[in-house]
Amino acid sequence: MGKQHVITMLPGEGTGPEICEAVRLVIDASGVDIKWEYEDIGLDCLEKYGTLLPDKTIQNIAKNKVALKGPTTTPIGTGHKSANVTLRKVFDLYANVRPAKLIPVLKRPWDKIDIINFRENTEDSYAAIEHMVSDEVAQCLKVITWPGSYRIADFAFKWAKANGRKKIYCVHKANIMKMTDGLFLDAFREVAKQHPDIESGDIIVDNCCMQLVRNPAQFDCLVLPNLYGDILTDLCAGLVGGLGFAPGANVGDGCAIFEAVHGSAPKYAGMKKVNPSAVLISGIMMLRWLKEEAAAARIEKAMFAVLDERKHVTYDVGGTAKTDEYAQAIVDKMHAKA
Amino acid sequence: MPTFTEVAKATKKKREIKLVGVDMYIITEKGTPKFDDIGAFKCEFISNRGTKVWPGFVSPDLLQVNWYRCRFMATKDVQDADINAFLDALTKKGWWWSAAQKLWTYDGEPGFSKAY
Repeated sequence: MGKQHVITMLPGEGTGPEICEAVRLVIDASGVDIKWEYEDIGLDCLEKYGTLLPDKTIQNIAKNKVALKGPTTTPIGTGHKSANVTLRKVFDLYANVRPAKLIPVLKRPWDKIDIINFRENTEDSYAAIEHMVSDEVAQCLKVITWPGSYRIADFAFKWAKANGRKKIYCVHKANIMKMTDGLFLDAFREVAKQHPDIESGDIIVDNCCMQLVRNPAQFDCLVLPNLYGDILTDLCAGLVGGLGFAPGANVGDGCAIFEAVHGSAPKYAGMKKVNPSAVLISGIMMLRWLKEEAAAARIEKAMFAVLDERKHVTYDVGGTAKTDEYAQAIVDKMHAKA
Repeated sequence: MPTFTEVAKATKKKREIKLVGVDMYIITEKGTPKFDDIGAFKCEFISNRGTKVWPGFVSPDLLQVNWYRCRFMATKDVQDADINAFLDALTKKGWWWSAAQKLWTYDGEPGFSKAY
């Protein structure tokens, strides 16, 4: 075994704990040496700590710099701040990396989709600056900054280069929002000048949506402001098979948190019914981030093989296996190949 | 016959509005501002790009720009004239601000968001 990694595990709530146990089973069996430190996050924390994200959890992530997170639920329309958004803000996890790649066994109408979305994660309409400016008018400030736009573009080009990608497009609505989206686009173009070896361009967000559903194979990497990124990354997830297979990473200069983007499905909690693949693929992204390529590739290959056989898959992909049975089948497949 | 706008407006219940503070958007190159109480207003938090930078934990990696939202809450009942005096005092202290947003409660509920 190589170096031991200390990772914060955030099981979340609802089906999160059973998903994270299944994912841990697989990752621990991959040959990588990880010491997991469990911390609380999400609705279950409210009664115990009075917040969705306790300080103890923040301190542990600050120490370990890397975390794997299960799903959490954000209450709609109440005063509690989203744990996810708080994590991004507190650790300045400015790059939300959301790959959308076809999984061979999932039958889709397209031959090829292999897109990496780079969503700016901290600005835009998510700056939490909202006011009732009269009793019949609500206002939300869309905050776009030059340094914030510049660094997500810089991150995307560097990631693309390191991973052999060829083309990056900036998604925007600068024809209408000339100041805010205009600034985002200007910063992207400035960064693009420094990377002449990567093809770059821009596309208006509504056209991008239409092009994605008509011909997704034309896209390679997309850089998006926060709100368009939120929407288009789910659109891309839908193209390749839904949120059950959609991984994500939230990355800053000093910290990275890997998480699935689906909800916590509380109605299935404790039933060991749900598909843990999204968190598992997020875990594979985490292993690659930790430079544990061999372990990542081993899990990926075994997972695809189990999905392909369809003997031990969860209900959403036509099987009857429980969450932990699917995970154990992946472990068995890894050992069988060893 | 009422217009559509009149019909739509009639569906909105009137609520009691009370002035409770002011968000100040301050431009400075000198880092997170520090404030003593100014008249009837006390600084409750300061955020940068929507992230709280005072008080409490701030990531050393946090990207900050030269534009801060500083929330001042009233420590007693205040009127619009108190805001005018507050703005004068803040300006005389040398703070350069781009905008001010009054904070109201509506039937006691805040009509403004918290910072992350």
